[in-house]
Amino acid sequence: MRDVMALILSGGGGERLGVLSAERAVSALPFGGKYRVIDFPLSNCCHSGIESVGVLAQHAPASLNDHIGAGRAWDLDRRLGGVMILQPYQTRSHAGWYRGTADAVTQNWSILEERRPDRVLVLSGDHVYRMDYRALFLAHEQHGAAVTLAVTRVPAAQSRRFGMVTMDGSGRVRTLEEKPERTSATHASMGIYVFEFGVLGEMLRSRPVDLVLDVLRPLVESGERVYAHEFSGFWEDIGTVGSFYAANLELVQPEPRLQLLDARWPILTRDEERPAVVVGGHAGIERSLVANGCRIDGRVESSILFPGVRVARGAEVVDSVVMADTVIEAGARVRRAVLDKYVRVGEGAQVGLGDAAGPPDLHWLAGLVLVGKDAWIPPGGRVERPASIGVGGRYEDFRDGALTAGSVVGNRRWFEELR
Amino acid sequence: MTGRYAFILAGGVGSRLCLLSERRAKPAVPFGGKYRIIDFTLSNCVNSGIFDIGVLTQYRPTSLNQHIGIGRPWDLDRTHGGVQLLQPAPSAAASDWYQGTADAIYQNLMHLKRRRVDEVLILSGDHVYKMDYNVLYAFHRSNRAQLTVAVTEVPEAEVSQFGILETEPNGHVTAFKEKPRGLEQGRLASMGVYLFDRDALIRWLVEDAAIASSSHDFGKDVLPRLVARGEGVFAYRFPDYWQDVGTLDSYYQANLAFLSDTPPLDLHDPAWVMHTQSADRPPARFAAGAHVRDSIVPNGCSIAGEVSNSVLFPGVAVARGAVVRDSIVMHDTVVGPGAIVDRAIVDKEAHVGAEARVGHGEEHPPNRACPEHLSSGLVVVGKRARLPEGIVIGRNARIGASVVEGDFTASVPAGGVVDGPESMH
Repeated sequence: MRDVMALILSGGGGERLGVLSAERAVSALPFGGKYRVIDFPLSNCCHSGIESVGVLAQHAPASLNDHIGAGRAWDLDRRLGGVMILQPYQTRSHAGWYRGTADAVTQNWSILEERRPDRVLVLSGDHVYRMDYRALFLAHEQHGAAVTLAVTRVPAAQSRRFGMVTMDGSGRVRTLEEKPERTSATHASMGIYVFEFGVLGEMLRSRPVDLVLDVLRPLVESGERVYAHEFSGFWEDIGTVGSFYAANLELVQPEPRLQLLDARWPILTRDEERPAVVVGGHAGIERSLVANGCRIDGRVESSILFPGVRVARGAEVVDSVVMADTVIEAGARVRRAVLDKYVRVGEGAQVGLGDAAGPPDLHWLAGLVLVGKDAWIPPGGRVERPASIGVGGRYEDFRDGALTAGSVVGNRRWFEELR
Repeated sequence: MTGRYAFILAGGVGSRLCLLSERRAKPAVPFGGKYRIIDFTLSNCVNSGIFDIGVLTQYRPTSLNQHIGIGRPWDLDRTHGGVQLLQPAPSAAASDWYQGTADAIYQNLMHLKRRRVDEVLILSGDHVYKMDYNVLYAFHRSNRAQLTVAVTEVPEAEVSQFGILETEPNGHVTAFKEKPRGLEQGRLASMGVYLFDRDALIRWLVEDAAIASSSHDFGKDVLPRLVARGEGVFAYRFPDYWQDVGTLDSYYQANLAFLSDTPPLDLHDPAWVMHTQSADRPPARFAAGAHVRDSIVPNGCSIAGEVSNSVLFPGVAVARGAVVRDSIVMHDTVVGPGAIVDRAIVDKEAHVGAEARVGHGEEHPPNRACPEHLSSGLVVVGKRARLPEGIVIGRNARIGASVVEGDFTASVPAGGVVDGPESMH
């Protein structure tokens, strides 16, 4: 599709993801045993025939630059179109962080003008789903719409996380409320919009900040042809620790609603070369995803293991997400935890003890233990859940080898140790 | 500094690998859960800093062409150098097909014309090993050798399969015998890794091409002649693991050796990554009730049954109640519910029907069709074979590629053969 350019918004620092997004954008968050969240929209673009993609990145852009590069993995390393990473930039007259989603698009409008697509597809880099965008364009054309948004049904309790949409019988959008506490609307906007190029360009002239509040809502209110297109497949906004964890664990359900094993719609990623998984003589692995490069000689149950994870003999990993190159040493037990990359869980340590709900201000932890990159859990250490251990956590952060429920340990900078 | 250039001989027929190399060249035979045999040589090259490579193919090159392509996985898709696939072509100057290994290089001498290299590295794509060729270059230069041959000690029983050398203590080669009958020559075998002085190589190949009685092979003709004449041929003793997976049995053993606590090669070494072409596949999925131990299971596999002491390749599915034991199962093969695969090598995209038994019973008379290669009890199942539900297949049986359920009239006895459609080639 030469007439479309996709813009993937990878704005958020994802404060609600705590240590997991301390050094990376949410869209660069590892997901599903080998992917990054942004692989899903990028792969959807690739399979939907979209050849021109811009990634608007503000928070920790290095994590995305690294991952996306020239776009090879998605066949987006092209002479015409291809993928571009669009970071905030300085000019002689202007230096601006992106003030919001609409501002991010405005600041890069010259690139859209160069490529001159007929339509602009706005996507979020923080969503996990498989969607053929061609269906969306078809609906857009059939309605002769100015804007079409993809919507999906969500439970009423979730409405305050989303922009909620009501439609008439033809699918035309009647109201759009941003994150309402209470609403009669049943459908959430998925943050996926098709704009007619001219309509978007016109709206951006007034320098709006936010795409929903300052662009979409005025369009709906002024009676423009804004339509909704319902999507019924699996879709998850990785905006919270709970949703990140739940979407990962969905993959190891007996009949997962999100299928990764599909040769016709593979999720593409920048793959590292790692040898096949080595399963030792004392291993027991059930209901889990285990990526290449792992060496498993302990028990793994209902967990997602990224490349290069080692689970030593007698160790146990249950209901957890363990990112690349983390080591669980002999006899250690990890339960209901998310361990970032390069974490070391010492011999006999126990992570995720107890089942306290924790103080109300830690509800965002969803009852889990989060362990930041490069943190070390001392041998024999005990971590009750919920808790959060910062990037580079060290033995000194433990009192008598233990962290009680509700503990939050801040990040360390790696070079502090060098003094 | 002058550049470096390597030829990789990848035309190997691999006839002793039976079905595995019936439809692919030996270097393209899958190995170690995700690799092809040639990946080891290609990765050694790039890890040694050699980024200019010609791969000589002849026998069934399609799978190699597909695998290597423009060399992306090895960072060989380069503006300068890179990898070039060199297939034989009819021409006025040369005969046509490559006659022997020496002839294959002779016919490609034009690729040396404009390359500013002092030496030419000639490798085989048939071997599993990790070698830093820089060490070989240093050895070669310090000896002022005209040709350095890498050698390794092989077991007595295998001496007759290799070119065997005798050397002086300083490494100077004094005798060379291709595939000797006895042990008089010792156990130092040529690894098929040669470092030639460029000009000497050209001179010797031109000389060999003119000899009518020559079979134009490095091992059979060129090396014995050079050694007999007292040219500066040196042997470099390679101290580490090197495996010529020439036979079905050695192929099987070499794969299963990677299941040990001390595997022969560290494939996890981040400083010497073995690169390969791999499709984007999700992580291996272990279902409830899966029971896997002492095995290699790569991305794309889906396991609900029991797997022990086995090497699986990407995309293998083992259904609930199925058992895979002491076996090698290649890409995208499906083992149906309740089926048992025991001591078997199953090629890609095969389908083992529910409750089938592959490798059954205690008897193992050698295979009727290839008794010399298939006698240790292994069952070999060819690519895309479809085994019917409940079929019982005895040991040493050979099931041809692309057979379908209807090709079986009854169970297959030990040593039995079921052939697939010949015309599928």
